[in-house]
Order: sequence, then C-alpha cells, then structure tokens
Amino acid sequence: MRAQINMVHTLQLLIMMFFSLARNSAFALWPIPPHITAGTTPLKLSPDFSITTTIVSPPHDLVSAIQDTQSRLKTDKFQRLVIGRGASDSNAVRFAPQLDKLELVFAPHAPPVRSIAAEATAPLKARSEWYKLSVPSGGSPAAQLVANSTLGLFRGLTTFSQLWYAYGTDKYILEAPVEMEDRPAFPYRGFSLDTSRNFYPMSDILRTIEAMSWVKLSILYWHVSDSQSFPLQVERFPELAQKGAYSENEIYTTDDVKQIISYANSRGVDIVVELDSPGHTTGIAFGYPDHVACANKMPWSMYASEPPAGQLRIANESTIAFSKELFDSVASMFTGPMMSSGGDEVNLPCWEEDADFVRDSIVANTTIPEALDRFVQEIQGIIKKRKKMPLIKSDMILTHNVTVTDDTVAVVWQSSADAVSMADRGHTFIYQPSNYFYLDCGAGDWLGDDVPGVSWCDPFKTWQKAYSFDPYANLTASQYHLVLGGQMPLWSEQSSPENLDSIVWPRLASAAEVFWTGAALPDGTSRLGKNATNGTSALARLHELRYRLVDRGIKAIALQPHWCALRPGACDLDA
Amino acid sequence: MARSRIWQYFVLSVYAAISIPGILCLWPMPRSLKAGTTSLVLSTSFSIDLQVQDAPEDLQQAITRTQSYLRNDNLGRLVVGRGTSDLGLLQGAKELQSLRVTLSNEAGKARSISSEATAPLGSRSEEYSLVIPSAGSTATLIANSTLGLFRGLTTFEQLWYTAGEATYTLEAPIRIIDSPAFPYRGLMLDTARNFFPVSDIKRTLDAMSWAKINQFHWHVTDSQSFPLEILGFTEVAAKGAYSNSIYSPEDVKDIVSYAGARGIDVVVEIDTPGHTASIHESHPEHIACYDSSPWMTFTNEPMAGQLRFASAATTNFTAGLIEATARMFPSSLFSTGGDEVNLPCYQLDVETQRILNATGQTLQQKLEMFVQTLHGGLKGLGKTPIVWEDLILTHNVTVSNDTIVMVWSSSSAAEGIAAKNLQIVHAPSDYFYLDCGAGEWIGADPDGNSWCDPFKTWQRAYIFDPYENLTESHQHLVLGGEQVLWSEQSGPQNLDSIIWPRAAASAEVFWTGPTLPDGTPRNVQSALPRLYDLRFRMVQRGVDAIPLQPLWCALRPGACDLMDAVKVPSPHDR
Repeated sequence: MRAQINMVHTLQLLIMMFFSLARNSAFALWPIPPHITAGTTPLKLSPDFSITTTIVSPPHDLVSAIQDTQSRLKTDKFQRLVIGRGASDSNAVRFAPQLDKLELVFAPHAPPVRSIAAEATAPLKARSEWYKLSVPSGGSPAAQLVANSTLGLFRGLTTFSQLWYAYGTDKYILEAPVEMEDRPAFPYRGFSLDTSRNFYPMSDILRTIEAMSWVKLSILYWHVSDSQSFPLQVERFPELAQKGAYSENEIYTTDDVKQIISYANSRGVDIVVELDSPGHTTGIAFGYPDHVACANKMPWSMYASEPPAGQLRIANESTIAFSKELFDSVASMFTGPMMSSGGDEVNLPCWEEDADFVRDSIVANTTIPEALDRFVQEIQGIIKKRKKMPLIKSDMILTHNVTVTDDTVAVVWQSSADAVSMADRGHTFIYQPSNYFYLDCGAGDWLGDDVPGVSWCDPFKTWQKAYSFDPYANLTASQYHLVLGGQMPLWSEQSSPENLDSIVWPRLASAAEVFWTGAALPDGTSRLGKNATNGTSALARLHELRYRLVDRGIKAIALQPHWCALRPGACDLDA
Repeated sequence: MARSRIWQYFVLSVYAAISIPGILCLWPMPRSLKAGTTSLVLSTSFSIDLQVQDAPEDLQQAITRTQSYLRNDNLGRLVVGRGTSDLGLLQGAKELQSLRVTLSNEAGKARSISSEATAPLGSRSEEYSLVIPSAGSTATLIANSTLGLFRGLTTFEQLWYTAGEATYTLEAPIRIIDSPAFPYRGLMLDTARNFFPVSDIKRTLDAMSWAKINQFHWHVTDSQSFPLEILGFTEVAAKGAYSNSIYSPEDVKDIVSYAGARGIDVVVEIDTPGHTASIHESHPEHIACYDSSPWMTFTNEPMAGQLRFASAATTNFTAGLIEATARMFPSSLFSTGGDEVNLPCYQLDVETQRILNATGQTLQQKLEMFVQTLHGGLKGLGKTPIVWEDLILTHNVTVSNDTIVMVWSSSSAAEGIAAKNLQIVHAPSDYFYLDCGAGEWIGADPDGNSWCDPFKTWQRAYIFDPYENLTESHQHLVLGGEQVLWSEQSGPQNLDSIIWPRAAASAEVFWTGPTLPDGTPRNVQSALPRLYDLRFRMVQRGVDAIPLQPLWCALRPGACDLMDAVKVPSPHDR
C-alpha cells in the first residue's frame, strides 16, 4: 500500500516493517501473556488434530472445555488482519508441518485435580490460573499445556484457541515454536451487569459469560435488582419477582440461576451477586411495600439519583429481619466466595422526610448514621455466616463512614481518585471508576424531557481510556497489595438485548488486559504510557480480538474503519 | 446507579399538563387527527379490500405486509399491566371487518409506489385520508397516489394494540388527514468506512418506511473503500473495495427496488473531489497526495488522497464515472459530495501546480469547472445535483439555481446557503449526526473525544427547528433534512442500535412540522410515549432499536422526566 518511494518514506517503511515483525501473529493474543517467545516457522493444525490429557478421569467441565476448544478450532474462520487477509501466507502454510496433538498435563506437585468450577469459585487469592504453553515448530512432539489446576489449563486452552488464523481450510500460525508462561497480575477481573433497569434473557447472559471467558475475565458481578424491577426469584420471598419483575417472562428463576452459575463456573467465571441496599431497592416495594421508605415519592430528584425513589426502612426491626433473611436466601443460591450488599447513592432526605422512617427511628431511638451502620453490620454478618467475603460500594465507607468487617472489599466507583482514600484506610478494593470504566457513559441523558442534558458521566469511555488505566496510580508501594483488580460495569438504563454486545464489546476487553497482563508487555516495555494505545501495539491486537468475537457470534463493534484494521498504525494520531 | 448527586437538589416545581391518549401513539404524528373514546377490535377475519384498478404489484405486496404486521406486532399497550386492564373495555366492542383502500377521483391511473417515490421531489403526493368508524362498519383509506396509500397503510398498522387474543384500539372513531410538512425526510448511511451487507440495508429501509422516511442518502464510497461496482468502471470497486465487500449492479437494483416499493427514493452520493483516495487503487493517475503523511496535514481523517480535479483527464474520468453511476439509479437526485476538500493536498501536488501554471487559472476556478462539468453531465440525464455546503460556503463555487445544498457543519450554516437562494437539506452535525459521542477512534489518543461530542440524543434531534435563523422569505428553500450515520465506528453489529429509534426524531420533525394536530407545539414530553411505541414495534419486527430508558419508565409516561411533571402511579398498580 505504501508505494511512494523516497528516502524518508523508505525509512518509515523499514521502521514499520520492523514493528510489524515484532508484532507477529503469536502476539495477537488478548490479554497478552507477560512472558512469550516465538520463532519464525509456519505451522498448521493437522486435520486429525486432537487435544488429550494425562489426567486420569478428568473432571467433566475440563472434558467439555477440551471439546469446545477442539470444535472452536474447526469452526473459527477468523483470518489474519492484513491486506489480503492471509492470502500471502498461503504458500508458506501449504508446506508447513502439521501439529497433531496438544497434551494437557498437571504440573508435578500440583494439588489434587478438581473441577474448573471448583477452582473458579475458590477464595480469590487461592485460585491458580498459571499455565505454561509450548507449541513446537516441527509439528512434533505434541504441543504441551502445563498448569497447577484445571482453571490454569482452561486459561491455557483459551490462549491456544486464539493462536490460530484461518485461511481456506487451514488453521495456522507463522511463528512456531511458541513458548509462553502466563498468569494474571490481579485475581479480580470482572464485568458488572445491571439486569434491573432493563432485562436480559438467559441467552444474552450466557453468551456474555462465554465471551468473558475468551478474554480471561474471572468475575461476573451481577447487579441483579434495583429500584425499577426485581427479576430474581427468591424461594423464601416469591412475591419479590412475582410482583417486582417486569413480567412473568422477565424473571431469573432458581433454575436459571443454577444454569448461569454452572455455565459461568465451568468457564472460569465466578459470580458475585449484588443485592444493592439500602438504596436502589424500590423494586422490593412491588412485593413488600412495608419495607421501603419514600417509595415512588415525588419529586424523585429530591429523594433518589434517578426515578423512582425508595430505600429500605433500615431503622425498622422487621425490615432488618426481612433484609437479613433475603440476603441469607440469596447467598445460599450462589457458589462463589463473595457477595455484595451494594450501598451506593443512599439518599438522606428519603428517610428524613418519610413518616414511617421517622417513627421507626424514634421507636428504635436511633439516628440515620447509627441505623445505617447497624444495617450494614447485620447484612455483612449474614454474608460472613454464609462463608462469603462481603463487597460494598465505596460511598458507604468514604461518605457514610459505616463500620465494615476487616475483610470487606470496597468497590471504588465514583472516581479513580477515591482509591487513595480507600487505601489510606487500609481496605482492600476493586476498581470500577466511572471516569474510566463505565460502559454506559456518553449516550446522552435518558430523562425524558432533558433536551440539553448529556450523560452524567460524559464523555463516552473509549477502549483507549479504559486501557490507559493504571491500577497503582497515586498509591504507595506498600498499598499495592490492597488492589484486587477491577471491573467495567454496564448500567442498563439505555441498554437491553438490542445493544448489549455492541455497548460491551470489545471495550470490556480493555480492563481484562489491564488486570491480567499488568504493567509490562512481554518485550519488557510498559503497557501504559504514551504509545500504549497506538495501532501497532494494543490496538492491533484488540482489532484481532474484535474480529474474532464477531466470527464467534458476538456483535462487537468496529473500532475504526476496516481500512485501519488492516494497516496497523496508519490511523494513529501521529501517523 | 450513579447520576450526579446535584439532581437530588435540583427540583423544578413546574407542573405541565400532559395528555397521553393511547391513540396518539403514532409516529410521525399526522397533521390532522380526530379520535373518539370507543373501543374497537380488529375482526379475526379482518381483510384489506383493495379497490384500485390494475393495482401495481408493490402496492399489493405492501398490503400483504400490513396484514402481517397487524397479525404479528403483538404490541401490548405501554402501560403498567401492558393493556390487560383494557380487556374489560373490549367486552362487546364492535369489530372492524375491513379496510377499503381506494384512490381518489382526481388520481389518474395507478402507478407503482416505486415510480411515485422516485418522481421529482416537488411532484410527489404522499397525502392520504384514513377514516375508521366506531360502529364496526368499513374503514376507508383514500389517497391521490399509491404512495399516499402506502403512507396511510403505515399509519393504520400503528393504531393497534394487542391484549390477550384481541387486536384493538380504544379511541374509535378515528379520522386522519395527513401529508408531510417537508418533501425530503432522509437517512444517510456511509458504507465506505465499514461495509454493510445488502440485508442490513434492506432492514434499515424497512424501518425507515415505518417512520415515513422517504430518502435514503447512500454515501456509498469514500477514501477507505469503494464498494460500488459501476458499469464501465468495474476496476474501481474491484481494486478499491474491501475484499468480498462490493455492491454489484444486481445488488443496487435489488436495493433500489426494495426501497421504491417502500416509498423510499435512493439518492446516491459519489463524494468528490475529496474523500476519494480509494480510487487510487485502480487509477493512481487521478489521485493527488495519495497516502501523504502526516495524514493530518492532507485530510480530516486517514487516509489522504483527492481527485486531481485541475487535470482535464481526471475531470473527464470523474464525469464519466458519475454519469455511469447516475444511470444505475432512478432517482431524480444525485449527490456529488464536495465536503472537506483539503487545499494543502493540491498546493504540494506537483502535477496540479504544473497545470495551474500552464493554464493560468486558480485552484478555485478549476474546482468550479470540475463541479460544473459533473453537474452538467447530471443535468443531461435529467437529474438535480446535490452538494455538501463546503463547496458553496468555503470554496465559493458557483452552482446552478436548482442545486440542493446539504448543510452539515452546523445548523447555523443554513443561513449562508439561504442567502445565496439555494435549496437546503438540513443534516447539521450539532443536531443530526448519529455517530457523535462514541469517543475518538483515531489510535494513540486515549483522552480524545468524538469530534462532534456529545452524543446527539433523540431529544436533541427532535427540537431542531428547520426555520431557525431563516427569514420568512427564505423558508421555502428548506426541502427537509436527514440524520446521518458516518461509519468509522459502526458496522452491521451496531447499525440498528446506533440508528434506532433516534433517526425517527427527524422523521417527525419533517413530516409533522412544528405543531401537533391540536395546534400545540411539538414537544419531547408528549413525543416520548409515542416514540416508545415505535421502538417496541421495531423490536417486534426484528430491528434492534435500543431502549431509551428503563422499561419502568416506558410503562409510566412522564415518570422519568426531569421536571417531575406527572405523578408516578403507585407500585401496587401493576
């Protein structure tokens, strides 16, 4: 394409060629493993290629993962993103040696074999996602994947399936042998989905979980209920969903939840359910109106951040008992070691001006801060009793100063700058900063009559913005251990099945690499900094991921004109 | 979660009366409408009685589609309970057995919808009258043309809700007399930055027709790719398209005929002389500053390259290409583009400078000759040329009086066009650009924003005033307007969700005009419940239109307004 020949141009061309060689196909992985070396020999999969394991009686979900990988290697049709889409590779590939086998091996001294699901729901810091993958150059011996756990093997299989390009009937790489050793920088790599503002059918949730696993995300943080609807069926409180769901067809039944959990866990994804409380709970009022103060009170803007108003009556003994039983009941539905009680955007006038609440607080001889403090402790007590680590939104700690248990994980959301205050208080936390990670920002104000209004967290958070996030910014080295990871959330006021994929993908992959790969790329250069988002490093790989997602049925959006995707770097600001 | 806390203290005690009768959930709102309060059910044997002699095939097919929508829309009224509470009102309701569809006495012999839709802009008749009695007797749809009948059928489809087994309205009798305020109501799609398969375009045409949008402005080519196969110039797409991403002449015929049958005229744009780098792949001799870097000096976005219009050979080539393209489209309109012509590209182009020196002419004179040559060719084919505003406002090119100018840089640019007494189609980036607000797409720019940030909400598009800043004597120059999708960040994956339901906003601006049938000004409060109806119908018909709010809001009109104008029903009501 770059045909104009003069000295300057030739030099540019040489520089470009150098970088495009450095960015060989084995590096077209997302998230990129921190340690990777590759050769220059073409290799293709044998028509009889198979994946085997030396594990005696491998767990069922590992067997399924192997089968899924084998079938994906057959059905993937993603072609290399270069002009001609791999046509120029065809000669090299025609005579390339063939790889017959990938062998999955448990490392010596590894702990006993357990299912992927069991490993994925172990305590956060006890999970082993490490793996080592070797692909030989001559086609033999077999490629080998080594890990300390089935979860590590699963991560390695994911990487293996990302290595290959399709051309004609061939699946090939150009850079054998490949050696990599991989493990995540942070254990918590999540996506938060709000299923209350608008509902997502099962198929959307399962599809999203599968795509999450392709970028090695480890947590689906399920913001299942809110003030607009309560779609979760809870056996002890059937009227919550019967009356609080948008319709009988918009309920996650207990069977649905089991299916989601099993589907997610077997793909290395743990589910953290959030019952947001005591705010964002008007959805409870459909079934249990006695427990909600200022429900639907107008003008809503006095009593809530968005319509409708309503918060749990936290000073009422009966409401506290109800809330505890609700948390206990929901906690028992989920396999993971964490659960969130939410806690964002509590509105004080809601309680101050609510006659029921005022009476409650007189009866209980308590103030709002005292009642809030007790409510959180009671709820966290229930979560702990269920052997789960409690998560809580950062404003509970930073704004309302509530007492939380020592092992509480705070979800820092208002701004990335809040991380410093959280760290100064010595809390572990995860990042969900609205100024970097909110997927819903930038779509305009959704309030009906707000003509000049823009999205409250305008502008749109691009993949580049999310990718430029530094988990250790402004923290001292002694505070680094407090950072467990982070997650990008989708608040669904303006989302539904119609735009789920397109608003989430491929942007969500940004945070997946921020928290998997960590600070450095395999060549030792910083993943952050000036050139992090240019077309020859992250962007080229992210384009590949995006086209692969589309090939696999995810409606991930185009980040640039296709022209740019085929010419790494050509659409950079300084190109 | 997470609106700014300032709203908690931002209280407006303005209580505006908002009436939201169910029947008014039409989009775009008809110009004249009267409705009653009687329930009426569509008979299970309901039929459409086409009383048109030699009814053209596309009209017959339109009727078949209407019948299918009536059966399958299955739209529960957007209230708490989704209309189940209406069932009581339907007990003993009269049944509508049939809709009689006829042409008026003034109408001549029936012509196809297609031919009516592609007639010259000022000569189309979209008017219709629709009467639905409450007594169960036959409803009637009358128009002066098959195009008018088609518009009426579209309205008829939107009148009905479903509850249980019943398809019904609560507001018979209904009398509608309708015609558009403006003849040009468009949607522009860029198929060059990223490619859209024919199926995506057809689905979009369907959705457009539901909102009575009548112009598909097809920005088919650009610098990144040239996907249009043009007879006599097949090498341009063969080399300039993304692989396997070409619209063949058969595809074009298919799209044109699909559009025409849905009352839509296809206006193709071959953007010139800028936005043409993709022609270099087949004709390097015609492209100046091809791939020059840094691109920012030579173009508004990568990659650089523009037609070397100072060259007579290039002008001849382009005129030939334009004429060959024009022959592929029945429309009387054709756009030669003309936006964002970059001057440094030519200042540093040796060949251009040589020609200017040799001829003693300026670049501006050459540009004018180029444009006039292209337009001369179009006139020879009986077509009216369309250009982007820049040629007039920036480059001061003289064009013929009947040229239509698309205003895009800002709504305020319309004034300058009107001052030159040229006709205007509004496509202002500050109101109508659907791509704004998705962040910077250029790489290595982590803090960059969309150049036309913020996102243009449906509300923003809806408040657009076609006559803003225009004197009364200039108002006749406004032909209409269109919302626009530039596709740098769009593809088949988000086509529906980025367009719908937002693009319906301008459809009502230009169909309904400034006032509602009751004489009050159009306003976003009363529009939203109607726009919701359209959005839910679109989803039901297979278009991925996005939700504008939580469903909770959709079922409680006014409850999610900032002004707190309407009391929220108690949650126990549902």
